[in-house]
Amino acid sequence: MVRRPVVKKEYSLGERVYLVEIAKGLGLTWKHFVFNVKASFRKGPHTVPTCWQYPEDRREIAPIFRGAHMLQLNDKGQELCVGCGMCARACPAKCITVKRGKPAKGEEDKYAGKTMCVSFEIDILRCIFCGLCEKSCPKNALVLGQDYELADYEPEHCIYDKDRLIANFHRARSEGLLKPPPVPIPVEAPPAKKKIAQKGDEKKGSSGKASVKGGKKSASNRKGEA
Amino acid sequence: MTKKFETICITTGPTEYSDYVTLNIGPIHPAMHGTLRVITKTDGETIISAKPEIGYLHRGVEKLGENLTYTQFLPITDRLNYCSAICNNVAYEMAVEKLLGIEAPPKAQLIRMIMMELARIADHQVCVGILGVDLGALTPFFYLILQREEIYEIFEWHHGARLTNSMGAIGGVEADLPDRFHEKWPKLRDSIRKANDETDKLLTHNRIWMDRTIGVNAFCGDDALDWGFTGPMLRACGVRRDLRKDEPYLMYDKVDFDVPVGKHGDVFDRYMVRMLEMEESIKIIDQAYELYKDFPEDAPLMKKVPKIIKPPEGQIYHAIESPNGELGFFIKSDGSDKPYRIKIRPPCFMVYQAFEDLVKGEMISDLIACLSSINVIAGELDR
Amino acid sequence: MADWQIDLIKVVFIWTWALLIAVVMTWVERRASAMMQDRVGPNRAGPFGLLQPLADGIKLFTKEDIIPKRARKILFILGPPLFAIPAFSTYAVVPFGDKIVIGGKEIILQVSDVNIGFLYILALSAIAVYGMVIGGWASNSKYSILGGLRATAQLISYEIPMGLALLTIVLLYGTFSLREIVLQQQGTFLGVLPNWGFFKQPLGFIIFLVAAYAEANRVPFDLPECESELVTGYHTEYGSMRLGLYLFGEYVNLGTLAAVTVSLFFGGWGLPYIDMSKFLGPISYGIASFLVFFVKQAFFLFLFVWVRWTVPRFRYDQLMGLGWKALIPLGLINLFITALLVQLTV
Repeated sequence: MVRRPVVKKEYSLGERVYLVEIAKGLGLTWKHFVFNVKASFRKGPHTVPTCWQYPEDRREIAPIFRGAHMLQLNDKGQELCVGCGMCARACPAKCITVKRGKPAKGEEDKYAGKTMCVSFEIDILRCIFCGLCEKSCPKNALVLGQDYELADYEPEHCIYDKDRLIANFHRARSEGLLKPPPVPIPVEAPPAKKKIAQKGDEKKGSSGKASVKGGKKSASNRKGEA
Repeated sequence: MTKKFETICITTGPTEYSDYVTLNIGPIHPAMHGTLRVITKTDGETIISAKPEIGYLHRGVEKLGENLTYTQFLPITDRLNYCSAICNNVAYEMAVEKLLGIEAPPKAQLIRMIMMELARIADHQVCVGILGVDLGALTPFFYLILQREEIYEIFEWHHGARLTNSMGAIGGVEADLPDRFHEKWPKLRDSIRKANDETDKLLTHNRIWMDRTIGVNAFCGDDALDWGFTGPMLRACGVRRDLRKDEPYLMYDKVDFDVPVGKHGDVFDRYMVRMLEMEESIKIIDQAYELYKDFPEDAPLMKKVPKIIKPPEGQIYHAIESPNGELGFFIKSDGSDKPYRIKIRPPCFMVYQAFEDLVKGEMISDLIACLSSINVIAGELDR
Repeated sequence: MADWQIDLIKVVFIWTWALLIAVVMTWVERRASAMMQDRVGPNRAGPFGLLQPLADGIKLFTKEDIIPKRARKILFILGPPLFAIPAFSTYAVVPFGDKIVIGGKEIILQVSDVNIGFLYILALSAIAVYGMVIGGWASNSKYSILGGLRATAQLISYEIPMGLALLTIVLLYGTFSLREIVLQQQGTFLGVLPNWGFFKQPLGFIIFLVAAYAEANRVPFDLPECESELVTGYHTEYGSMRLGLYLFGEYVNLGTLAAVTVSLFFGGWGLPYIDMSKFLGPISYGIASFLVFFVKQAFFLFLFVWVRWTVPRFRYDQLMGLGWKALIPLGLINLFITALLVQLTV
């Protein structure tokens, strides 16, 4: 059994006659219509002010936009990636495959670090563009650029290997769309050291173990929590 | 002996009035919000029964949570309620922070509040727009969606993505409010109000709209509480419950806002509650922005958490007021870096359970209106 | 030239003109709706998207023609033409303009001036209902059936208020023929207002307009084919040019209704205070009257589009309630008042 509350509809006179409100609504749409028709004869990009005519007009993309990946080079043209694989471990979609190796003899100055990545593959079709790989890279080598037009005809072309990623970087650099280096944000400091001194008393009360051992363990635990 | 048993079984099957028409409003339908399915039995146009069926967008999110670390699960929470992804992110982050026993710094809390209220406005814009589209008024949708684009721009300049935000991190936020926000907010506030006014002018006093929505799917507040409704659905039924007021989190107790409450729980009340909530969100953002200006430039934005988060053993349930209702995360941890169990309490699941009670006795057009006004988002419903 | 040759040319011309209006209406609908909704609409096919209807037509022709397996084949094929042909045929009695003199012969710009004028239009619209119902029923799909049933009930119910509004016109002008009615609307009455039916019959005009929206299946009365509820109702299962016939037939119907509104209530092809035949030669007078009629018809076609994108749609029982409980009593009251006034003034 469904109980329904009784709803009494009360209309004012203007609302009872449908036409008054409909006429007001028509006036509103007419205003929009006239505005947009006048605007559509303007010259220049996105003539109707609210409608971007892609692909002729493109929006300005934020510098921190999470688009297609690129492997960065430093100012001297050396590859920054050391092949540590932190990005592969951080990726929730498991789309990055990294193989580390040592640079061949005579090619050491192509790479900024002591090791390099022999192969680096990102499967764009699996990537969810979350940016966790970028955050986890210790050398700021892997960044997400501003490219969002990633559609292709073959799925094989959507597995970006190292050359493609470095080509992305070169293209971004030539267009002036490089990602600015990450700005470190102010982080609240961990709780002060005097807590460890108090720790022994507290922990003794709760666990009843020897003070020294209990103190050390609880100190490390507490740091992990905070 | 078995034959006798069989014949008895066949003849004593259930009998139904066979003139009812079974109509399948299937997972692929212009009015379905995501992939939902309703199997209705109708007598002409009146609905006798309406069985909802879910699961067409089930992606195993909770199971995924058992195999991903706490940081890796954050982008997955985006995809729950994809109209306002920030609320899901913040709910999850706050749940993990509660488990770790830390609290984000106050400036980060204000930034989270501002972003969440913007996401609330965006979600309500979509819901009201889609309600209009399903009922035949196709124009207000465009006026509202345009403002949503502006909000997207703020999101993009803050954390880099428009829709699937993955905002912040466990411990706080990762970036300060962008310059775009400071430039855009005064104008955006006025243009959101203007779009809402235009929608109001086109719809609220229009008798066709009023006939269509007043008295449709009226629901008692007691029934709503029994079913577990939360959010605008519950407030439209007359029950004043808002987690931001009853159990304040972040800094909601420091800002002053109203909670719009309806009377009858019908589609019109739900629509009005959402429209008024958008206005309240603008007020909250204004006040939070004033509070934000008091903080210095280098106030901390994040609490220090280790790279690999290993919360102590324990379980926690934390809920926030998402645009759809109470979105809750239950996280049980066994001390390792991956959670033992994550359970998500989706607000629209509780509402969708009551779908049959909501539409029984109404007409097919009312079923469509009901489905739109509940704001069922399949990503959240099915996880 | 013999009479029948002139009539044949008129038939071909008016038929092409009706199709052209329908085709351009699809473009107008898409562009005007876009301009009202802050967007652009089709602008890639040709300048300002003017070739978009051509692209749509080619697309519809080249699609695969599917007949569902369990559908009633003969009725399925019969449905669309049964809807589209009456829509075109009603153009035969619409007065597009006044006389034009070519080669010494006076030709009226109307295919045939029958003396049952708009009764013919009402009768053909009733046949068009069959097209929708047969199409809906023959598709063997629940959505189509629901659409067809709603269409039947709606269109039949709204023929009554339309008929009542038209009865008052008959009382006023004493004739069914559209050309006579337009001729009687030239000049002024009360010294100031033009002699149009709109000023003599405001209530009748409103009733007729609302009934016209219902007859044309346009929002706010477009339940038989609303997208969000019934997945396009009675033409769910149709594809290719059968769907094209339904869609174009609907726009041609719109054109007819706009033309009839103009002829009955807005003075047809005459300008309000100016008598064009006094200062224009015979051929240019014919062309000018044709253009005036077209401008008025275009305004009403735009009104159809304009209201569509502003208003939500009715629910089914509210729609029937409006037709039976509001419009018919209003129509009857209007009829009595008009009869009284006609009796008192004549």
